[in-house]
Amino acid sequence: MARQEALHPAHTLDISSALPAAAASRPRTAGSERWLIWLFLLPTVLFLVLLLWLPFLQGVWMSFHKWPFIGEPQWIGLQNYRDLFGAAYFWTTMRVTLLYSLSTALQLALALGAALVLNQSFIRLKSVWRGVMLMPYAMPPVVVGAIWMYLLDPDLGMVTHYLLSWGIISKPIYWFSDPVWAKWIIMLVASWTFWPFMFIILLAALQAIPESYYELAEVYGANPWRRFRAVTLPHIRGAMLAAVIIRIAWNLAKIEQPFQLTGGGPGYETSVLSILTYRFAYLSGDFGMAFTVGLLLILVTFVLIAPFLRGFQKQIKQARRR
Amino acid sequence: MAENIGIRVHNLRKTFQRGRVQACRNVNLRLAEGALMVLLGPSGCGKTTTLRCIAGLEQPDNDDAIWVKGRNITRLQPKDRNLAFVFQDTALFPHLSIRRNISFGLDMHKTYRRAERRRRVNEVAELLHVEDLLERKPHEVSGGQAQRVALGRAIVMEPDAFLLDEPLANLDAALRVEMRTEIKRIQKRLGISTIFVTHDQEEALSLGDVIAVMKDGEVQQVGTSHEIYHHPANFFVATFIGSPPLNCLPCHVQTDNGALNLASRAFQLPLEAAGVASSLRNQGEVMLGIRPELVAIAPERPDTVAARVSLIEPLGSRTIIILEAEGVELRAMVQGETSAREGEAVHLRLDLERAFFFDNAGNRL
Amino acid sequence: MAMYTQRSTLTQKVLGYGGLAVVLLIVLIPYGYIALTAFKPAEEIFDVRWLPRAWSLDAWRYAIEFEQFHVYIYNSMIAGLGAAVLALCVAVPGAYVFGRKQFRGKDVMFYIIVMALLFPFVLLVVPFTILWVKIGLYDTMPGLWLAYQVFIIPFAIWILRAYFAELPPFLEECAMVYGCTAFKAFWRVMLPLAKPIITSLMFLAFLVGWNDFLFSNMLTTGEGPRTASVIIYVSAVGGERVEWDVLMVMTLMAGIPPVLLYIVAQGQFLKTFAVRGH
Repeated sequence: MARQEALHPAHTLDISSALPAAAASRPRTAGSERWLIWLFLLPTVLFLVLLLWLPFLQGVWMSFHKWPFIGEPQWIGLQNYRDLFGAAYFWTTMRVTLLYSLSTALQLALALGAALVLNQSFIRLKSVWRGVMLMPYAMPPVVVGAIWMYLLDPDLGMVTHYLLSWGIISKPIYWFSDPVWAKWIIMLVASWTFWPFMFIILLAALQAIPESYYELAEVYGANPWRRFRAVTLPHIRGAMLAAVIIRIAWNLAKIEQPFQLTGGGPGYETSVLSILTYRFAYLSGDFGMAFTVGLLLILVTFVLIAPFLRGFQKQIKQARRR
Repeated sequence: MAENIGIRVHNLRKTFQRGRVQACRNVNLRLAEGALMVLLGPSGCGKTTTLRCIAGLEQPDNDDAIWVKGRNITRLQPKDRNLAFVFQDTALFPHLSIRRNISFGLDMHKTYRRAERRRRVNEVAELLHVEDLLERKPHEVSGGQAQRVALGRAIVMEPDAFLLDEPLANLDAALRVEMRTEIKRIQKRLGISTIFVTHDQEEALSLGDVIAVMKDGEVQQVGTSHEIYHHPANFFVATFIGSPPLNCLPCHVQTDNGALNLASRAFQLPLEAAGVASSLRNQGEVMLGIRPELVAIAPERPDTVAARVSLIEPLGSRTIIILEAEGVELRAMVQGETSAREGEAVHLRLDLERAFFFDNAGNRL
Repeated sequence: MAMYTQRSTLTQKVLGYGGLAVVLLIVLIPYGYIALTAFKPAEEIFDVRWLPRAWSLDAWRYAIEFEQFHVYIYNSMIAGLGAAVLALCVAVPGAYVFGRKQFRGKDVMFYIIVMALLFPFVLLVVPFTILWVKIGLYDTMPGLWLAYQVFIIPFAIWILRAYFAELPPFLEECAMVYGCTAFKAFWRVMLPLAKPIITSLMFLAFLVGWNDFLFSNMLTTGEGPRTASVIIYVSAVGGERVEWDVLMVMTLMAGIPPVLLYIVAQGQFLKTFAVRGH
C-alpha cells in the first residue's frame, strides 16, 4: 500500500476511499455510497444464494438420505456413497466421464488451428469464415444433436452410407447403441459442437497481440515456429487456460447431447456422471443417490481443472508483475 | 475577518485502513478569498488526499475539518458543496459532447434555464478558446484541449472554489508552461479561491500566491514563492525546492581561539566574518545548505574552498558547474556562460551569509 | 533474403488456406446436407443423395401446420428475451459494484460468484423442480427465466466487471462533484458508457434461454411453455419413427436465428470474449 502510494497516489486513494475510516464517526458520503454498494449487490447475491447455494446445500443434505420422489426421506448416513463406490457401473461411468472430458483436448486442437489460420493477415473475408465457424456453437446443442442423429443413422444416414460405399465398414454400425462406438461418438459430437467457444476466445486473444512483437521477432530472424513459441503462445496462454477450465467444467455438466443421442446406454457405457445423476433422479426417483453422484461430479470437475487453475493463477500473477 | 477566508482546513486528519495509514495528520490551511494556493510535495505526502477531503471525495476523521466561506462543509456530500474539481486525467465523460461535458454540472442542478446554460457554456468556451470544439466528442480533441474543457466544466459552475489536482501533469512540457500561465490569468480574472495540487516545484513557484509545502501528511511551511525559496522553514523544504538542488554539506562548528569556524572534509571557513555566528555558537554537527547560485568561482583567498570542475552543463541563460572538493560534490550556477573548463582546479567562494544551517533533526538554525 | 520471405509466405498461404478449407468443410458438410434434406419430399429421405430429385416444401408445411412448430419458436424467443432482461436488471448493478467500488470481502465474493460458472447445473434440476412446484413457478415462463439466471449471472458478472473496471477512473467522482449522487453517477455516466457490452451480454443471455434444453425440459410440461429445443428432442427421440425431413426443418428454424445473432454481433462478441491475463 505504502509503496504503491508512492507511485500512484491518486489511484491508491481511490482504493482506500471506501474502506471504513476510523470507525468512530460515520461519514455521510461514504455512508450513502455503502448503501449503494449493498443495494446493487443485493439482487446478484440473493439470486445466487437462493437459486444456487441453498439448493446445493439442500442437495448435500439429501445425499445422506434415502430420498424418494414420494414418501418420507430417511437418514442413512454414508450408505449412498458406499453403494455408489461398490457398484460395478460406477467405474464404467468414471471411465467414460474421463474419456468424455478428453473432448476438451480435441476442441482445443481444432480451435487453436482455426484461430491461427484466421489470424493470418492474407486470409480474406475473415468475418464470413468466422461466422461459419461459430455456427455449431451458436445453435442449441439439441439441434446439433438431432443433426448428427440423422447423419449417423445406421439406415438412412450419410456417414454410414459413405463408409459402406468406400468399403471402410462392411455392415452398418449402430453408433449410438454399440458398446464400443457409443462413447466415442458422444465425445466426437460434443467436440464438433463446442469447439467454437474456445475458438472465439483464442481468436480474441490472438488479435490482441501487438504487431510489434512479431516484427521484433522477425528482426531477430525467428522462423514461424519460433515466433509461435516466443510470441504467440505466451500471449494466449491465459486465454487458453481459461477456455480449457471453462470447457472441461461445461463439457462435464452439459447433458443434453449424450442424453439425446444415447440416453446413457447401452448399459452404462455412455452414462457420464451428469447422466448418471439424471438417471437416478428421474428414472429411479432416488434423489439422495442423484445428489451423491452430483457431488462426485463436482469433485471430479475440480480434480480435472485443478492443474489448469493453478496455471491460470500463475499466469495472472505474472501479468500483474508486468 | 472570517468572511475574508475563502477556504479553511482545520486540524484535518485522514487515516486509511483503520488508522494504519495516516494520509493527513493535522493539516491546517487558510486561504484568503480569491487567492490561489498551491499544495506542493512529493508523491504520497497527502496533498491529493487533502484536496479530496475538501471536495468531499474523502471523509476526514474529524467533523470540523473543512470550511468554505465560513461554512462547515465537512460532512456535506460532494454535490452539495458548490466546489469544482479538475482531475489529472481530465475525467471527461466519453459519451458526451464537449458542450454537454462543460454544461454537465449545470444540467445536473436544473436551476438554470436552457438558454442560460447555453449562454454560460458559450462564454466559458470562448474564454478557453474551445468554442470550435463544442460539438465534438472527448476522444476527438487533443490532450491540452481536453484539459481546457475540464477547466471549462469547472468554471461554468461559478463555484465557491476551484480544486485542481495536478491538472497539467499529463501534458507535454511546452503546453504545460502555456496552460500554467493561462490558468493563472483566468484565476486572477475570475477571482475565485483556488487550490492547485502539484509535485512540480516550478509550477508551484510560478503559480501560487501562497504555497503550502507538505510531507508525510503534514504541512511543512506556508508562504509566498520568495519565502519558500529564500527562507525555508526546514531542511526538507530547502532541499525540495530549487533546481538545480541545494548543496548539502555536513559540517561541524569549531571554536579556535575564540573564533568560530565551520569545518568539513573539504574546507574550514571563518564564521564571524560571515555574520551568522550567533545562531551557531553552541552547535556541534550542522548541515550547511547553500543554493548553487551562492557558490561562485573566485580568486584564492583564506575563505575560499579549493575544488576541481568535473562537469559543465550549459543551459543557455545560465550554466551549472558541477564541482568536486575532497570527495564532496557541489553545484554552482552562474548567469550566462563560464570561462571554467572541465578538469580545471578552481577556488570557490560560498556566500555563507545567505546559506542555511540545519540541526540533526532538520530544523533551521 | 527476399526470396526466402516470399517462399515462406507462399507456404504459409497454402497451409493457411488449406487449413481454412479443412475447418470449413468439417462445419459445412453436415449443415449443407441437412439444409438440403429439409427440401426433400418425404419419400426421398430413404436414399442418401445431396440434391433432392424434386424440391419440396412439404416438410416445412408439416412442421408449421401440423406440429405448430412456430409456437415453440415463439416460446423460445420469449424465454430468451425474459432471461436477457432479467439478467440485465440483476447482473449489471452487481458487476458495476465489483468493477468500480471497494468493499470488504470483495475478492472472495467475486471468486465465489465466478466459481459458480463451473457448477454442474444438472444438479439443480431436482431441487428446482421441487421448489418450483411448491411456489407455483413450475410450467411457467417466469420459472424458466429465473432458472436460467444461475447460469447467466456468474457469466455476466465475470464479463461486465472487467469492462467496468477498465473504464477511465474518476468518472463517477467527477460526476458527484458536479452534482450527482452515487446512483445518478451510475445511471447518467457509467450505464451509457457500458452500452456496447450490455448489448452483447443481452445477446448472450438471450441465447442461453433460446438454446437451453435442460431446464426447459424439466420445468415445463406439454401444457406449458415448451421451447423449440424440447420439441426437437422429443421428435428425435420420443416416437418410433422419426420424420427426418420435418426434424431437419425444425433444426433449421431453431438453429438459424442464433446463428444470425452471432453474425450480426460477432465483432462485439469477439471483444466480449477477450479474456485478459488480469
